[in-house]
Amino acid sequence: MIKKDIIKCLKANKDVTGYEIKIIDKDSRELFYVLNHLEINRAVKTKVTTVTVYNSDGKTTGSSTFAINAADSISSLKGKIKAAIKMAKSSRNQYYPLVDKKVNIKESKPKIANLNDTACDIARAVFKANIYKDGWINSTEIFVSAFKNEFINSNGVNHVSYSYKVQIEVIPTWSNSKKEEFELYKFYESNEVNLNNITNEVDEILNLAKARSIAVKPSEVKIPKNVPVLIKNDMRDLLVKYIAKELNYQTIYLKYNHYSLNDVLSKNPFDLTMKGSIKGCIDSAKYDNNGIVLPSKTIVKAGVAKAIYGSKRFGYYLNQKNITGLFPVCELKAKGIDYQNKKHIIIETFSSPQLEDNSGYWGGEVRLARYFDGKKYIPLTNFSISGDFFKDLKTVEFSKEITTSNSYKGPKYLIFKGIKIY
Amino acid sequence: MLNKFLKSRIPAAKKLVKELNKYYDYASVLGSLVNTRVISVSSRTNSIDNIDNECGFVVKVYKDGRYSEYSCNDIIDLKAEDIVKAVKLNKILTDDFKVKMLQEKKHVENYLREDDTYYDDDTIFNLFTREKDRIHNKDKRVINVISRYSCRQTNKIFVSNKKCLTQKYDWVNTILVVVVREGDKIKDNYYARGNISSRVVLKEYDRVADRGLEIALQLLKAKPVKPGKYTVITKPSISGLIAHEAFGHGVEMDMFVKNRAKAVNYIGKKVASDLLNMYDGAASCVSAGSFFFDDDGIEAHTTQIIKNGILQRGISDSLSALTLNEEPTGNGRRESYARKVYTRMSNTFFGPGKDTYEDMVKSVKYGYVLCSASNGMEDPKNWQIQCSAAYGLEIKNGKLTGKIVAPVVISGSVIDLLSSISMVSNELKIYGSGMCGKGHKEWVFVSDGGPHLKTEAILG
Repeated sequence: MIKKDIIKCLKANKDVTGYEIKIIDKDSRELFYVLNHLEINRAVKTKVTTVTVYNSDGKTTGSSTFAINAADSISSLKGKIKAAIKMAKSSRNQYYPLVDKKVNIKESKPKIANLNDTACDIARAVFKANIYKDGWINSTEIFVSAFKNEFINSNGVNHVSYSYKVQIEVIPTWSNSKKEEFELYKFYESNEVNLNNITNEVDEILNLAKARSIAVKPSEVKIPKNVPVLIKNDMRDLLVKYIAKELNYQTIYLKYNHYSLNDVLSKNPFDLTMKGSIKGCIDSAKYDNNGIVLPSKTIVKAGVAKAIYGSKRFGYYLNQKNITGLFPVCELKAKGIDYQNKKHIIIETFSSPQLEDNSGYWGGEVRLARYFDGKKYIPLTNFSISGDFFKDLKTVEFSKEITTSNSYKGPKYLIFKGIKIY
Repeated sequence: MLNKFLKSRIPAAKKLVKELNKYYDYASVLGSLVNTRVISVSSRTNSIDNIDNECGFVVKVYKDGRYSEYSCNDIIDLKAEDIVKAVKLNKILTDDFKVKMLQEKKHVENYLREDDTYYDDDTIFNLFTREKDRIHNKDKRVINVISRYSCRQTNKIFVSNKKCLTQKYDWVNTILVVVVREGDKIKDNYYARGNISSRVVLKEYDRVADRGLEIALQLLKAKPVKPGKYTVITKPSISGLIAHEAFGHGVEMDMFVKNRAKAVNYIGKKVASDLLNMYDGAASCVSAGSFFFDDDGIEAHTTQIIKNGILQRGISDSLSALTLNEEPTGNGRRESYARKVYTRMSNTFFGPGKDTYEDMVKSVKYGYVLCSASNGMEDPKNWQIQCSAAYGLEIKNGKLTGKIVAPVVISGSVIDLLSSISMVSNELKIYGSGMCGKGHKEWVFVSDGGPHLKTEAILG
C-alpha cells in the first residue's frame, strides 16, 4: 500500500489527532556455512510498515500501533484505524505532544555494491584467517543488509535515511594436545565492508579459542586479592549504558533512578556524552524513534551527573525545555591508566554478560579470561565474577586504549578492583 | 479459523512451486501471519495494540547440493525467475560437499487450536487497573505495578509438491510485575502465566498480585548469596531453565552437524542421575512451544532426550536429520518468515519423580530453594552452564528460615549439576512464557519446566 493512501485514510478519520508512520525496506543477502561448505544462501526483500495513531484531548493521550501488510486493502486499513482509535480511547495516558517539524532529514540513496557479491567477498575474508592446523572455523553466517528507513508524523516530520549493515557470526574451534575441542563465539557487526578488518577479527577469535583450549581454572594460579579486573566488549557496553539509563527521562519519570543531577558518580573523573552518530558505531542514527533530530548532550562531566536526556514523551512529562531525543550511542572520555606492567585479569568473553536492572548486580560465567602475572598472560576459564555496579563505579578506572563498538566509543577497558572471583 | 489472506495464497503457492520445479529439484513455500493483541497497564503508562508481528512468505529451493531461500511480503505476483535471480551467486566460495535433498511423503491436513474465550479490551484493562490500584494502596513502597496481556494468533501454510498444510493456533500470556522502592533499593518480582485460554490465565492473574508484592518487599532485605557450592532445591521454573540450557541446546542436532555439541559423543551414555528423564516436543504438551507442524512442514513430535540418566537422542530440523541420516523430530523453527530455519527447542522439561517437595526440604541441612527463572546461557561444546534465579530461600536443618538471597546465578559443569540430582518431586509444571535465542539471536517462543530437583550447585 502506498504512503499517500495511508496518510489519506488517517486524515479522513476525525478521531485521529496525530499519527506516526514508520516504513523499513530491507534488502539482504545471507550465506550460511558449515566448515567450508555453503549449506544455504538466502535473499530477503521485505517492507514493514507500522502506524501509531494518537487520540488526544489536550489533557490525556491514547495511542495504539498496528502494522500494514500485504493482506491489507484501503477498506481493511480503515478498519484497522478505527479499531486502533477504539484502543487508544480505552488506554489513556497523561497528554504529550508529537515531535514538531524542524529540519527534515533527506538522505539520498547510496550506491552500494551487489549484495550477493559483497557477501561472497566477506566469505573469502573470513576464510582467509582459517589457516591453522589445530584450529578452524566450524560455522559461519554472513548477513549483508541495506535498509531504507522512513519516518512520517502528522506534524510534518518526514525523514528518509539509508543504512547498511554487515553481520558475521563465527564459531571457531580449537583442538588442544589432548584432542579436546574448545569453541568460542563471535558476532561481528559493522556499517561498512572492511575485508582486512574482518580477517583480523576472525584471526583474533581463533587465537582466543586456542587460548581457551589451554586455559586453567583460577584456583590453579596464585591470583592476589583485589587484582584489577579489566572489562571489555559487551559487558563494558552494558555497564556504560547503565550509567546512561540512570539519567534517562523515562527512568527518572518511573522513579527507577538511583542518581540525581549533581551526584558524584565516581571519584575518577570521566565525561559521558550521548550522541546520535559516532563513526564506526553501527547503532548510530540521525533521528530517534519519534523523529527528533539528534544533537549531542554531555550527561556526566568530570564524574558528576550534569544533564538528563530521553524521548519526547518522557521529556514532556518532566517539563524539560529542550527535549534531546533518545540517543543510540555514547562517547566516554577519561584519563587512562597504565595497567600493562601490573598484575591484572582481562575478561575476554562471558557466556552471557548479566546486569540486573534494578540492583546493578553484574557479572556472569567467564568463558575465557587472561591473567597477567607480571611476566606473561595465563588463559583462565571455568569461573564466574560478580560485582555491584553502584559500588564499583565509584572507583572505576579506564584504559588508555580507545575502541569503538556498536554503541560506544571510549576506553577499551573499564578497570575494577575488589570484584568477586569464584 | 485460518487467516483469510493466507488461505487465499494457497493456489498462488501451488502455482509457484510448480513453476520452480522447472528450475530446481525441490521447492516449498511457507506462509506466516502472526497477530498479537497486547494490553499493557502500569502505574504511569498504558497501551493497547493489535499488531501483525509478521506477515510474509519464504520460498525454499534445492539444486546441486545446496538450498536457497527467498523471503518476501507476498507471493501473488512473484515469478520463479525473480527467485532464480535473487539467489544466484556469481562469486560463490564453497567446497564440493553436497547437502542431500529433502524427501517428503504426501501430507494434506488443516489444524486448528484456538482460544475459546474472548475478553474485550476494556474488561482486561479494567481488571489490570483495579489490581494496580489495590496493590498501590497496600504499601507505599510500591512504585510500579505492570500488567500485560498478550494473545498471539499464529497462522501458517506450508505448500510443496507433496504437502499442503495449514495451521492456526493461539497462545495467551499474562505477566505481572510489582516494583518496590525503599531509599536507593529497588526490587521487583514477576509472575508470568501462559495458556491456550484467556479465561484461565486471567483467573490465575487474579491470584498472584499479593504474593508478588510480598516477595518484592522481602527482596528489599535480600543480600547476595555468598559464592560457593550448596545443596539446592530448584523450583519447576528453574528446573525447566536447567533442562533448556543444560541439554536442550546441547541436543539441537544442527549443532551435531556442525560438530558443535559434545552430546553427539554421549548418545547411549550416562549424563545425569538415574532419577532424571527429559523430554522436548511441540506435541508433548499444549504450551508456548506447541504447534502442529514445524517450519519444514514436519508434524510435531514428542522426543525423550534423557531416559533414567542415559542420553537417548537429539532433536532436529529436516536438513540436520537428513545430513545425519535420522528422522526429523519436528523441531525446525524460524524466528519469522524472514529468517532461516534452525533446530530449536519447543516445550522442554524434566519428567516427574516420586519425592514430595516437603520431604526434599526436610532432607536439606543447609542450602537454598531457588525460585523464579530469569535467564540462562548454554555452552553445548564444553558443557558449562549459567542460569539466573531471581531469588533463593534459605533452608537450615530441613526448614525454610524466611531469609532470602538475591539474585542467584548457578554456574559450573552441566554433568556435575545433573549427576548430583538426588531427589525429584512428583509434580510437573510447565511455564509457557519464555523466549529463546540461538547464540545471541533467532528468538522463538518456548516453554520449559519440570518437577522440583534436589542437587548440588555452584551459586554466585
